[in-house]
Amino acid sequence: MKTAERIDTPAVTASRPVRPTGRSLVRIGPWVAVPVRRRTAIAAAVTLLLLLGAAVATLSLGRLGIDPADLPSALMGEATGKNAFVLNRLRGPRLVVAIATGAAFGLSGALFQSVTRNPLGSPDVIGLGAGSGAGAAAAALFFPDVVPVPVGALLGAVIAMAVVYFSTGSGFRNPGRLVVAGIGVAAMSTALTQYVVYAVERDKASALTAYINGSLAARSWEDATTIWLVLLVCLPLAALLARPLSIVEMGDDLSTGLGARPARTATAAVSLSIVLSAGAVSVAGPIAFVSLTAPQIAKRVTRGGGPHLVMSTLLGALLLVLADLTAQQLPLFDNLPVGLYTMAVGGAYLGYLLLREWKRPA
Amino acid sequence: MTTLSRIGQGPAVVRQGPARHFAAGALCLILLALAVLASVMFGSKPTSAADVLRVVTGDGDGYVRTVVESRYPRTALGLLAGLCLGVAGTLMQGITRNPLAEPGLLGINAGASAAIVAATAFLGASGQHETIWWALAGALATGVVVHLIGTAGGGSGPVRLVLAGAVLSAVLAAFIQAVALSRPQVFDTYRYWVVGSLGGRGFDAFWAVLPFAAVGFALAVLLAPGLNAMAMGDDKAASLGVSPARVKGAGLLAATLLSAAATAAVGPIAFVGLAVPHLVRVLVGADFRLQILFTSLAGPTLLLFADVIGRVLLRPQELMVGVVTAFVGAPALLFAVRRMRGAA
Repeated sequence: MKTAERIDTPAVTASRPVRPTGRSLVRIGPWVAVPVRRRTAIAAAVTLLLLLGAAVATLSLGRLGIDPADLPSALMGEATGKNAFVLNRLRGPRLVVAIATGAAFGLSGALFQSVTRNPLGSPDVIGLGAGSGAGAAAAALFFPDVVPVPVGALLGAVIAMAVVYFSTGSGFRNPGRLVVAGIGVAAMSTALTQYVVYAVERDKASALTAYINGSLAARSWEDATTIWLVLLVCLPLAALLARPLSIVEMGDDLSTGLGARPARTATAAVSLSIVLSAGAVSVAGPIAFVSLTAPQIAKRVTRGGGPHLVMSTLLGALLLVLADLTAQQLPLFDNLPVGLYTMAVGGAYLGYLLLREWKRPA
Repeated sequence: MTTLSRIGQGPAVVRQGPARHFAAGALCLILLALAVLASVMFGSKPTSAADVLRVVTGDGDGYVRTVVESRYPRTALGLLAGLCLGVAGTLMQGITRNPLAEPGLLGINAGASAAIVAATAFLGASGQHETIWWALAGALATGVVVHLIGTAGGGSGPVRLVLAGAVLSAVLAAFIQAVALSRPQVFDTYRYWVVGSLGGRGFDAFWAVLPFAAVGFALAVLLAPGLNAMAMGDDKAASLGVSPARVKGAGLLAATLLSAAATAAVGPIAFVGLAVPHLVRVLVGADFRLQILFTSLAGPTLLLFADVIGRVLLRPQELMVGVVTAFVGAPALLFAVRRMRGAA
């Protein structure tokens, strides 16, 4: 075994410059690595600029918008009257929550997809979103004034993940089992949610359904603090995982040979991914498809290998802010939960990806 | 392993253990009869087997007669929907070679829901009798669109269909929720339908979907030998004169018809289409002729028992059968996960 690996590893390294696949580019020396890094850096800068633009639009569009000319002074704390109200109560917290929630979903998805090596892999797939929905629904039906709905959502997500963890018999290590266990947990959670929505009064059911689809309406600065704390704690941990993850993506055998311990890396990445998603879900509800699409777009934009953690985080934030901007400003429907827009657009994007892949001659 | 290697000889499987299959068949029939009896016996007003017998033979007093007869429609619906879901699941798992394939994956549930929501919101449809036709149309239309997307660009493949189903389901789900949330009346229709229940539907629903179910079932029976040949691999099937593409296409059409019929009649019901084929394979092996025969007995049995449990559990209220199947089926799936080998 050992000898075989020792023979294998140099052979692979030697063959790399000959076949410069996307994933090896980063690691084979300064000359080839530079273009990839520059591309990523430019993409990140562009994404940040777009995010800034979307943020300004969020604050200034519409009937209640703050005039962009007043925005700098308003942000410095000199807003008065209507502007102060819009900035501090209405759109400010909502925007800050949207940025952090989107970033958390994006990072969460990147970690998860890197482990499952499956574009459909996201914490939603293993039942996190459905579990949090059921938690919210159960809190609303059984403990209406005792457990707040967001706490119910967090508990639901945690319980769902605990059930998945224990029913696989191998923790979060085995992606195939994770997905199947997730299907089971999601089915049970959805059944419970639908039962609650069936059983309660119509207005309550309607409010609950809006929450379960993921909404950013009426968020407070407390929500913003919560999700930013989660994000700031998880970001350094994710950075530590980036390197082992990009090695593990090469396959279990090779990465074991390189000393990366795939099982442990997978467990750590999935756990971190779940913490991020659970945090995001507890402030915004299970918003669909951000954690699925952000890493996919990141992969196409950077055209590199590896887990794309930075780009996925930025793109997640951008996507959610844009979706929420649409939810606030689109005159077609009034105040629909933002999760519906991400679901429609994310679903269509996924369909486009699949179609394009299938049209390519194999 | 041994069973799989024997599929090659097709008929040999049947000859291998006729006694065992007769025993299994008898057991399934007895269980089905018990399920039917339980379905007309139990409910918010329990009746005895003797009461049921008297009513069936034309005796019995008016009140008991009314109670028992009120349970006929849901029993009939349970029989039909259970059969449809079970056979559809068998077809899909056989064609996609994916042990997790089930009717919901083809986008059928989402299509039916979307059609109901759209018809209620924009065309003023109301009540069971109208919505069932919309559900059927929506389910069939979605099935067709999923097939078109899944076979775009020339190629085809079961995985593509499932992915196409997932994509379409997501987009339709967004549409459903958007319409339902902005119109309270529509939301009410939708939330009662989407739970999946045998109760309160009536014989109309049964007759409405029966033709579609019958065509789907007949197609499934005709396809069974072709599916057996395909289990050896597409190449070998082709060398036996079976066109894999044609069998797959017809099989998916049959699965679509069957699941559309079931979903339109009783709403989305999880896990029957997933679990029953697995149970049946354990019982009779890999021969699709036997699988289809046995799923059409075991599917209704499971669904009716689940419905009876739902009626008894919260008496005098009742738990919808869709909730019961999810809470029975999901733990079974979680239990089975441990036995999966290696990374998928």
